[in-house]
Amino acid sequence: MAAIHTYSRSGAGRLAALLASLLLAACGGGGGGGGGAPSDGGSTTPPPVTSPGGTEPKPTRDQAFRFLTQATFGPTEAEIQSVMTLGYGPWLDQQFAKPTVSHRALWDAADARIRAADPTPGAGQREVLDGFYAQALSGEDQLRQRTVFALSQVFVISMQGSEVGDNARGVAGYLDMLGANAFGNYRTLLEQVARHPMMGIYLSHLRNQKENPATGRVPDENFAREVMQLFSIGLVKLNADGTARKDAAGKALETYAGEDISGLAKVFTGWSWYGPDTSDARFWGSSKSQDADRQWQPMQAYAQFHSASEKRFLGQTVAAQTGAAASLKTALDALAGHPNVAPFIARQLIQRLVTSNPSPAYVQRAAAAFGAGGDMRALLRAVLLDDEARKSETAADPAFGKLREPVLRLTALLRAFGAKSDSGSYLIGATDDPGTQLGQTPLRAPSVFNFYRPGFVPPNSLMAAQGLAAPEMQITHETSIVGYANYLRSAVDRGFGQSGLDGKATRRDVQPDYTQALTLAPQPSALVDEVSQRMLGPQANAAFKRELQTAVESVAVPALKADGSNKAQVDTALRNRVLVAVLLSAVSPEFVVQK
Amino acid sequence: MHSIYPSQASRREFLRRAGAYSALGAAGPMALNLAALGTAAAQSGGDYKALVCIFMYGGNDAYNMVLATDTPSWTNYLAVRQQGSDAIALAAPGTAVNAAAAAGSPTRLGGVLGLSPLNAQGRGFALHPVMVGARDLFAAGRLAVLPNIGPLVRPLSKADYRNSSIARPPKLFSHNDQQSTWQTGAVEGATVGWGGRMGDLLASNNGSALFTSISTSGNAVWLAGREVMQYQVSSQGAIRVGGSGNSLFGSTVVQDKLRGLMRTARSNDLLARDHAAVAARSMDAEVLLSGALPAAGTAPFGTPGLVSGAADPLLQYDNPLTGAKATNGLAQQLQVVARMIASRQTLGVKRQVFFVSLGGFDTHDGQNRQQADLMARLSHAMSYFDTATQGLGVGSQVTTFTASDFGRTFTSNGDGTDHGWGSHHFVMGGAVKGRDLYGAFPVYGLSDGKGDFSSPQQIGNGAMLPQTSIDQLGATLGQWFGLSAGQALELFPNLVNFDASRRSLGFF
Repeated sequence: MAAIHTYSRSGAGRLAALLASLLLAACGGGGGGGGGAPSDGGSTTPPPVTSPGGTEPKPTRDQAFRFLTQATFGPTEAEIQSVMTLGYGPWLDQQFAKPTVSHRALWDAADARIRAADPTPGAGQREVLDGFYAQALSGEDQLRQRTVFALSQVFVISMQGSEVGDNARGVAGYLDMLGANAFGNYRTLLEQVARHPMMGIYLSHLRNQKENPATGRVPDENFAREVMQLFSIGLVKLNADGTARKDAAGKALETYAGEDISGLAKVFTGWSWYGPDTSDARFWGSSKSQDADRQWQPMQAYAQFHSASEKRFLGQTVAAQTGAAASLKTALDALAGHPNVAPFIARQLIQRLVTSNPSPAYVQRAAAAFGAGGDMRALLRAVLLDDEARKSETAADPAFGKLREPVLRLTALLRAFGAKSDSGSYLIGATDDPGTQLGQTPLRAPSVFNFYRPGFVPPNSLMAAQGLAAPEMQITHETSIVGYANYLRSAVDRGFGQSGLDGKATRRDVQPDYTQALTLAPQPSALVDEVSQRMLGPQANAAFKRELQTAVESVAVPALKADGSNKAQVDTALRNRVLVAVLLSAVSPEFVVQK
Repeated sequence: MHSIYPSQASRREFLRRAGAYSALGAAGPMALNLAALGTAAAQSGGDYKALVCIFMYGGNDAYNMVLATDTPSWTNYLAVRQQGSDAIALAAPGTAVNAAAAAGSPTRLGGVLGLSPLNAQGRGFALHPVMVGARDLFAAGRLAVLPNIGPLVRPLSKADYRNSSIARPPKLFSHNDQQSTWQTGAVEGATVGWGGRMGDLLASNNGSALFTSISTSGNAVWLAGREVMQYQVSSQGAIRVGGSGNSLFGSTVVQDKLRGLMRTARSNDLLARDHAAVAARSMDAEVLLSGALPAAGTAPFGTPGLVSGAADPLLQYDNPLTGAKATNGLAQQLQVVARMIASRQTLGVKRQVFFVSLGGFDTHDGQNRQQADLMARLSHAMSYFDTATQGLGVGSQVTTFTASDFGRTFTSNGDGTDHGWGSHHFVMGGAVKGRDLYGAFPVYGLSDGKGDFSSPQQIGNGAMLPQTSIDQLGATLGQWFGLSAGQALELFPNLVNFDASRRSLGFF
């Protein structure tokens, strides 16, 4: 793992102020110059697929809680009130219009602060994660950031492995790029993914050379293969509802063959670092030819390295001598225009936000909203407002929902208790280790196949007996379950992440605010109601609350002596009651599963 | 894919299975205790066998792991791979190390390490320059090479391959699907692997089903049987929920409730119940294992008397990129395997399947450095584990084999290789008739300039067309493990398509 830096502290709260000042300032910067600007904010809004508001009743508290579990990094009291007041659809409209903070600007600010104290180290991976958690925990544009996290698990790059990890500023830029396109258009998103230098490094099409018939060297096929398998059309032909198309013998029809990959690989030759010229030295990344923004600016074409031969793929033929830009356009138009894209992308968005096994009809409705134009905003609206996502009858089905992944459990817990960062930087850091941490860190998947696969079926499980997928179960095992519980056992008490920017603060950086719960700690049933309501919402069933109350009551609180001499013991006992309620809620199946 | 509204019939089936499952998963192991297991073990005597799968995630470039060094092969190897500024052709046997060359470059690594097999098939062979440990194991007769092995439905000639109507495995060249195919015979989504099935059929005498099928590296479908369930153990052994001690936040009740809440679902929700079942298994196994596992710092698998926190030199390999010692995560995984094998009598187990893994083999670029480091880890870990199992007196009762998504292309893309099909692999152990190759080594040809190759065993971009199937490997391992010929045919349904005389590869 690459070095995780600590650095000197330079004034608590400064970054929080900076974060606010960066609002809008860097909007769209991550998208860079690769084609049209992403259409956000004030652009036209397509009509909702259902008609929320109006004659429909406003969401109840439980309904708002459930909706926010799907659409954000975790419900907060303020957002619950907002959804109850506005209704689902208007809340989404408000989210679509929210200004956003640039991850790269946050990273640059951290880098500048570090270098002001010591010019050598600079910011690294840690600061990318700081930005992620700052926005997940305190950002206003929750839907956009939550969608960015979902998209980062479809269009995967990973800081595991030094190639991408050593270009942390580029990873921050990648998050901005996903954010700039999260409510935009799939075709633009696909192009900006394809041309992003971090994707170029991760799937090795950056610096990919044309074939050399004399020596037998062939283009690198890595990106050509995965852009089809993972980012656009998948391996098998799909019906509009996401089910596989089969031949007469019942065999699924494959979408492409080896020749399509070889042909498409030629399209992705001759792309490399952004810069003011297209010299060989810049293509190779020579230290004398490195633009300051090359880590995030879209890759540019170098004609001398681009294959000039005929390129055949997916029924398309790009004539010999066609240049890199025109070849890319043909390729991406072919991929984005493929009928598989809508159900393929729609189903994965549903799985990331709502449920692991959507009905084909639900997939079809979401895919129809996405449409031939690849409207991401309409897709999100359809995914979140569909009856299957919203109806409590559906949620009551034993097979509905998804395992909440560890990172989202963490953010939900912290948001439920209004956690604040002492440094303002949210120093939670990497949590890779399944034995002592979460077994998952944003942007650190083990491979381009993400932390888990959309089609993973856990062996010997009730889900498997029903033929159902449970992607997040792929990172769930006897070790990870204990690691998660033990990580929280320590963290709910002492806080989360490292102790200050310099590692020398008196307590860990991110601290939940238990004030309200502490006032109720003398009355176990009230405390249990408060904590389970904040963390579980409608999932807080009576049987669970009885167990929790027994546990809370078992922490004896001595009577406060008249002279106050035992106040410290009383306070400790009251706080322990709160910690018990929070920890036991966080490890309960009721919290771990999102209904 | 699947409706969330199952039919009434499938609901009934689900309820039936759910009942059986919860009895097995939650209540079952609780009824066991260590003393009872020990009694069972004492009666079982020395009948113990284990299979260990070392999975190389990403698709290992076997062309640079096992090399053909006879003149025709080597000439073509150089013609195909010796090109560009970061060429991926390794140096010929006997080439001296150039200490001034860039880290990980072929001249810095020196020549490939020659092998002297008992039957050389008229060819010459060598291993990657950093694989000193594997070379020595081969020479000592404890390691064999399985050339050009991969998934097949039936034997396939190149002419057959060109005929799309002749059956072949689906979704070739796709990482996730071929990982699954190696482990289960089917693409992603399969839930039963042949390691787990061997557990189903052969481990019924195990005192605890919990410890039949063990992964040290996350979930691996190879280990899942119809009844047998994978148990995942960390390299440090089992971990206790809530940490040490019986009290949590000043209360013993809290510790009990923590565990109780985690292991019980208070609803009919499938995921909640599945998650709770894993938690229950984790807790039950920890109780048993914590009392049974010998400490890591115990010979022969560890170094006694180390200062707390010090790295065990047995687990350190020579990093070829830095020249320094570094901890080998694969050896750490194999250490906990050795510790579990050491506790086999206490745990009352007679047949075990283990899965360990190493990632990073998808060397599309930067292959020289990346693969050198991985080959060094693999070789060191195999050598470490062979020594440990011999030290435990089970050297001939443990058989280890390598597997990977797929092999890679013979052609170079400048500094790396792309997805292939067939690949060379290793099988190791005292029961293995080592220092030999089992299966015909493929001819290494040249490109025809249109993507095809002159060799009858190489297809587009020089990917190997497998001549030995995973089913043959599995059947050979399985019969050593105790499968009958009929059971082998049941576990490996494509085996019937192979000539009866070739269903066992003959390395035992």
